Amino acid sequence: MKRFTLACVGLLGAAQLLSSCEKEYLDEEPPSLYTPQTVLVDSLGFEAAMAGLQSVVREQYTSAGLQGLLGIMQEGTDVAIPGQVQGVEVPYYNYTLLNSQDGGASYYWSWAYRTINNANQIIAGAEAAPASLRQGYKNRISAEARFFRAYAYDFLATLYGDVPLVDEPVTSPRTDFTRTPVAEVNEFIVNDLTTAIPNMFDATKATSGRIARGAAQHLLGQVYLRMNKPADAERVLQTLISSNTYKLITARYGVRANQPGDYFSDMFIVGNQRRNQGNTEIIWGIEQQLNVPGAQTEAQQRRMWVPAYYNVKGMLIADSLGGRGIGRMRLSNWVDYRLYPQGEGAADMRNSRFNLKRRFYYNDPAQTALFGKRVTGLVGTDTIFFITPYTTKWNQYNPADPFGYGTIKDLPMMRLGESYLLLAEAQVKQGNTAGAAASVNVLRTRAKAAQVTADQMDLNFILDERARELIGEEQRRITLVRTGTLVERTLRLNGASVTGLTANKALMPIPQSEIDRNTSGTLAQNPGY
Amino acid sequence: MQNFITSMRVKPLLLCGTLVPLQVALAAPAAHSHPSNYEHPTTALAAAVDQTITGRVTDDQGQPLPGATVVVKGTTIGTGTDGEGRFSLVVPTANAGGTLLISSIGFTSQEFPLGTRTTFEVRLATDTKALEEVVVVGYGTQKRSDVTGSVVSVPQDRLEKIPVSNVAQALAGAVAGVNIVTSSAVPGAQPSIRIRGVRSITANADPYIVVDGVPFPGSLNDINTNDIASIEVLKDASSTAIYGTRGSNGVILISTKRGKTGKPEIRYNGYDGPEFFVNNLTPLDGPAYAQKYQDFAAQRGFTPTQPLPNSAEVVNLAAGKTVDWMKEIQQTGSIQDHNLSISGGTNDVKYFVSGEYFKQRGALKGFQFQRVSLRSNIDADLTPWLRIGTSSFFSTNNDNGGRADLTLAQVTSPYGNLYNPDGTYAIYPQLPELLIKNPLLALTTTRESVVNQLTGTGYAEVAPTFAPGLKYRLNATYSFRPYRYAYYEGREFGNLNGYAQLLNDERRNYTIENILSYARDFDKHHVDVTALYSSQQNSYFTTTENASGFINDAIGFNGVGGGSLTPTISSYSERRALLSQMGRINYNYDSRYLLTVTARRDGSTVFGVNTDKYGVFPSIALGWNVANEAFLQNNALLTQLKLRFSYGTTGNEGVNPYQTITGLAQGQYAYNGVPTTSLYAGTISSGGRIIANIGNADLKWERTTSANYAVDFGLLKNRITGTVEYYVAKTNDLLLNRQLPIITGYSSILANVGSVRNQGVDVALTTRNIDKPDFGWETNLNFGVVRNRVLQIYGTGGDDIGSNLFIGKALGGIYTYEKVGVWQVGEDPSGQDPSAKPGDLKFRDVNGDGTITSLDRTYQGSTIPEWQGGITNTFTYKGLSLRVFFQTVQGVLRNNGNLNFVDLGGRSNTPQEIGYWTPTNMSQDRPGLNYNNPRGYSYPSDASFTRLKDVTLSYNFPSSITEKLHMGNLSVYASGRNLYTWTDWVGWDPEQSYTVGNGTGNGGTNYPNVRTVVVGLNVSLR
Repeated sequence: MKRFTLACVGLLGAAQLLSSCEKEYLDEEPPSLYTPQTVLVDSLGFEAAMAGLQSVVREQYTSAGLQGLLGIMQEGTDVAIPGQVQGVEVPYYNYTLLNSQDGGASYYWSWAYRTINNANQIIAGAEAAPASLRQGYKNRISAEARFFRAYAYDFLATLYGDVPLVDEPVTSPRTDFTRTPVAEVNEFIVNDLTTAIPNMFDATKATSGRIARGAAQHLLGQVYLRMNKPADAERVLQTLISSNTYKLITARYGVRANQPGDYFSDMFIVGNQRRNQGNTEIIWGIEQQLNVPGAQTEAQQRRMWVPAYYNVKGMLIADSLGGRGIGRMRLSNWVDYRLYPQGEGAADMRNSRFNLKRRFYYNDPAQTALFGKRVTGLVGTDTIFFITPYTTKWNQYNPADPFGYGTIKDLPMMRLGESYLLLAEAQVKQGNTAGAAASVNVLRTRAKAAQVTADQMDLNFILDERARELIGEEQRRITLVRTGTLVERTLRLNGASVTGLTANKALMPIPQSEIDRNTSGTLAQNPGY
Repeated sequence: MQNFITSMRVKPLLLCGTLVPLQVALAAPAAHSHPSNYEHPTTALAAAVDQTITGRVTDDQGQPLPGATVVVKGTTIGTGTDGEGRFSLVVPTANAGGTLLISSIGFTSQEFPLGTRTTFEVRLATDTKALEEVVVVGYGTQKRSDVTGSVVSVPQDRLEKIPVSNVAQALAGAVAGVNIVTSSAVPGAQPSIRIRGVRSITANADPYIVVDGVPFPGSLNDINTNDIASIEVLKDASSTAIYGTRGSNGVILISTKRGKTGKPEIRYNGYDGPEFFVNNLTPLDGPAYAQKYQDFAAQRGFTPTQPLPNSAEVVNLAAGKTVDWMKEIQQTGSIQDHNLSISGGTNDVKYFVSGEYFKQRGALKGFQFQRVSLRSNIDADLTPWLRIGTSSFFSTNNDNGGRADLTLAQVTSPYGNLYNPDGTYAIYPQLPELLIKNPLLALTTTRESVVNQLTGTGYAEVAPTFAPGLKYRLNATYSFRPYRYAYYEGREFGNLNGYAQLLNDERRNYTIENILSYARDFDKHHVDVTALYSSQQNSYFTTTENASGFINDAIGFNGVGGGSLTPTISSYSERRALLSQMGRINYNYDSRYLLTVTARRDGSTVFGVNTDKYGVFPSIALGWNVANEAFLQNNALLTQLKLRFSYGTTGNEGVNPYQTITGLAQGQYAYNGVPTTSLYAGTISSGGRIIANIGNADLKWERTTSANYAVDFGLLKNRITGTVEYYVAKTNDLLLNRQLPIITGYSSILANVGSVRNQGVDVALTTRNIDKPDFGWETNLNFGVVRNRVLQIYGTGGDDIGSNLFIGKALGGIYTYEKVGVWQVGEDPSGQDPSAKPGDLKFRDVNGDGTITSLDRTYQGSTIPEWQGGITNTFTYKGLSLRVFFQTVQGVLRNNGNLNFVDLGGRSNTPQEIGYWTPTNMSQDRPGLNYNNPRGYSYPSDASFTRLKDVTLSYNFPSSITEKLHMGNLSVYASGRNLYTWTDWVGWDPEQSYTVGNGTGNGGTNYPNVRTVVVGLNVSLR
């Protein structure tokens, strides 16, 4: 009885005490979760957020979820035709199938806005960061984020037209977005880049893999061209080139300098791709590295560009052939047979067997009758993606992974060679064909190709030259949409591979799911979808 | 106890004092060291003049009645009878003029004046009224006739003699309004349980499971079905509101068996039998597969250079060599269970101890599941006012083993190679195709997946003798659940680096409940009051290590550090806690007018900083036992009639912790090959565990308010009994992972949006069609109809297509195009779908604008079944009984992935049941092989089915034989499960989910439904 009374007293006492503990007991503190409030307070936090932003940026061309995504940027343009397609790229050459539920349009849209959100977090975080963080650091980290934000908006404005403009982190479930006119988006991009440029590190000072001033100048030049401000473009590109921070590669270097090859092909070999590996021409490369956590993706470039030669009896997967490709697409006949004119094309280094591989030799020693002979005379239309000329820029082989799901090499995003072509474009647009010819000839001299003259210079020539210089690196669709030449050039140079390409199809559809989810606002669809 | 104290988190709680009463209560018996003190509490008071009375108590058959209570009325002087029914009691002189009360549960009590009589020979009559079913309700028990809420007891026969690996499988189709969805037949997979439809979308929709009065933190797989004494399903708000935030999805109360006074009873139950693969999809055979490639080439518009896509296939085609992959992945499955229990006890201490071994060998190679469990339940009356007890169990189960891949077997070419010339598995059966791996390859992997569950529950019940009817009970439960997963794949699997993964996690949960109750009869008034104060905490910690670059396959995950390439590691930690107070009043007058009022207040960690962490959940219920009214006494037609009504609110906090906080995902990135920590918003980390979400500080409870109207009836001397219930439940502040435009940077946010209504009817009916002494036929029928409707979302009045929410329509909707056929050669699509080619699916141009756009999508139905039911017929003839059980689920639409999958661009096989369009077969159902579904049509298909779920034939040996064998009971049975299914669904099973395509690995959920036949034996010795 006494015990019982005691127990009751204990219970009553407990009830009294409990009221004071309740609050703490129900507090929610995530023990293993980082939050913006705990991260964006010092330079270590900002560095981690920048690495995070760059890992999102990387997803643009390294996703493996929809393996044909990269084909969207090449097929249905003048440079490529479909091979062993996956599916997502089909509406980009059979344009009649391109609709608002398109997987590719949805993927790229999502990539851009995830990039923008992560950039916004850093830009807003730098503004709010405590005074203990140096202003110079805040400006620089913010400048890097602004570059990526501008890069994503430029991508959106080019491929989708008017797009919603979000300039700070979203903190509530917003569903009232509307499309901001392209002109306004362009002003925003220009403002971001011009704010960023003075605050960025020069490439000589920046860490490998980090974005530097030259990239912002290169991008700004390209944005001005899209805005039809060629004089501004020329000014900023001239600044970039004359800074001499970057130099064209004109001599053999790097890990295979003593093996067969040429200096143009040296730039695309794993181990040679970075500035600190001797590549003075690279302005922005997205770094990848085999067997390093966080540095590997399942990027599909090799599988897109390298043909499925191993399907031919007598052919084995080989390092020298670039590993296992599956020929999801192949170069268009225009690139294969007309881009390099007979005679003068033979001298062009960019058309050498080290850069544009055209001939195959049986390499399976077990097939003694065939071994060493040239592969010719195949029949059947499926062989077009087995044995076909291809750019070697995405060759990569890992003996531990013959299946070769991913491409673990750096992605060249911008290099000085392209800056010259942008400059030439700006010059042509201003009627300065002599200047344009001079700019193009810098590259042709380097490639040991025939020189061009001013009277040859027009936009089409520049675009041809881009295909020679940048095939495999350039996202061809973006260039053609930017220059307004997608329909004309594709139909003229590669018409047989496309269906239903009309002016309306130049812009991608706004993803239907975005329209559906934006319940409190109206996102108008692009015409034709 | 040590575990509690070492945990820092609990320290404040100890101070808070919840444990103090436990310590006091447990200390009580220790202070009085002589047990005799309380067996004869009065001896010390009344010395030599006391009188000893003795006697024997028997039942109406003359059999001794152990455990009967013998007490001097109005005092605490008393004892119980022993195994022979005998008792001996010392009566102090002061009580010599009193009355002796002899009682036993289930019998009518008898009273005798004491006087000079010293020996008593008492025969107690069975009390028909007291035998009335007692049901377990939340925090207590009630007589069935006094229950006002919707409480359904699961028929006992569903728990025995059926080859099931867990309780949920036994419940399928057995209770009205309870839907068991078996989404996977993989041995060891758990079905999901839905009570009265789906209220919530994002928040947890699983019912709350309470075992022996305390919340059960483990998985249903841990519970040995043989240990279960009863299962009650609480469906309406009145019965579930006392579980507050946990009550929204219904509550399942499981009581395990406990010891009874008397001789030890030893029971053995066991069964064993084979399992068969139900072959619902058959891949194309060699010639048909080769034809498909030709058809593919023709439809794609190319001329193939060879008759099959790959050179290895061409070789086998020429040699006429084929592989039947379906046959290769199969083996004879089996299922067996052995269960041994011992129970018994004295008047003061009772025990139940059991052990089980369950083993299922899959019908697909490599699949298996086994469980070993041990349970010990002890109850001890320490003093007349103090009882303590424990329920503790340990179970270990595993589904170890690398597994054959059904999905791959479905797509691999019949002309592929199973083995290399050296007898090892060919890694790529159809070289040079590297996309499709050998379906048997995962058998070469090492895979361990073991979960252990250790649960200890202790209770102390104090019933002060000075205050009859008052009771204080303390429940404390602690459970520890470590899980370990280890995996290695090496060269034989085609991984030239070797790859190992280790995953370890630990879940620790505790619950402490203080329950104060008071039950008393005042004349015809019965009152019972219950109050609760409880706290609960769940914590979770997990670590993962991945490594590769092993020099060979000798050590695998045992030496994870042997991976030469940089490993990846991650961990995650989480805690959630709940504080609750509850009160309940049950009142009834003369068992005619019944009233229950409850209220519960819960506080949870998972809700927002901007909102109250607390919610209050009240309910009320009324009942009228019409049959107990004078005017219905001895009514020939109507034996039972009860009307019930309840109304109340429950909550749902079934969301993951930390949803109120905007998080950053952690990953890795590298500059110049040097790994760097990377943090980013709005995507999933490389560890794949933390979803960096946009936090919602306004998050609050999802609340369901429901009304329940019910009639219980018994007709014609209870030859027909049943219950009909109608309910309306409205869920407000619906917790939803609302889909956001990715423009925000996030794809979704957890928010309280909108409301949903469920209304439905549950019917349960039992008829005793034939009721002869030797022959009986009983039919049990139950069915539930539920109508689910979204009432409003965001208050805007419009639909949210992106989140799949449509006002006035059911949740789980399927919103897509309407397929009306297939475009044939020569048909002109220009007025309807200008881009269509022959062989493409033909969709209805809903808005008639001459083209198919996103505006032509419509709401086509829901994945929530319209109605479902079960019917059991039981026939008995003497000791023989036959039970036949059918289950049906109707009005369900599901997307059928099997139909969506074509053939990976001509490179893989497809099932013959699915087929494809050709210009000559002119199918109006299936598209051509070149169709790549550009609009994402989801192939909704009718998934209704009726199943002959199980048939059991059993024989109970008569007592004449069992007595000769010195047995209490002996029965043998044969039982079959999943015997036949009637459905239009094309696939392995209409209920289950399968991945389709070329995924390799360990099979996941891809397992056919199996047919099981077992023979079993139940024996008890006493």
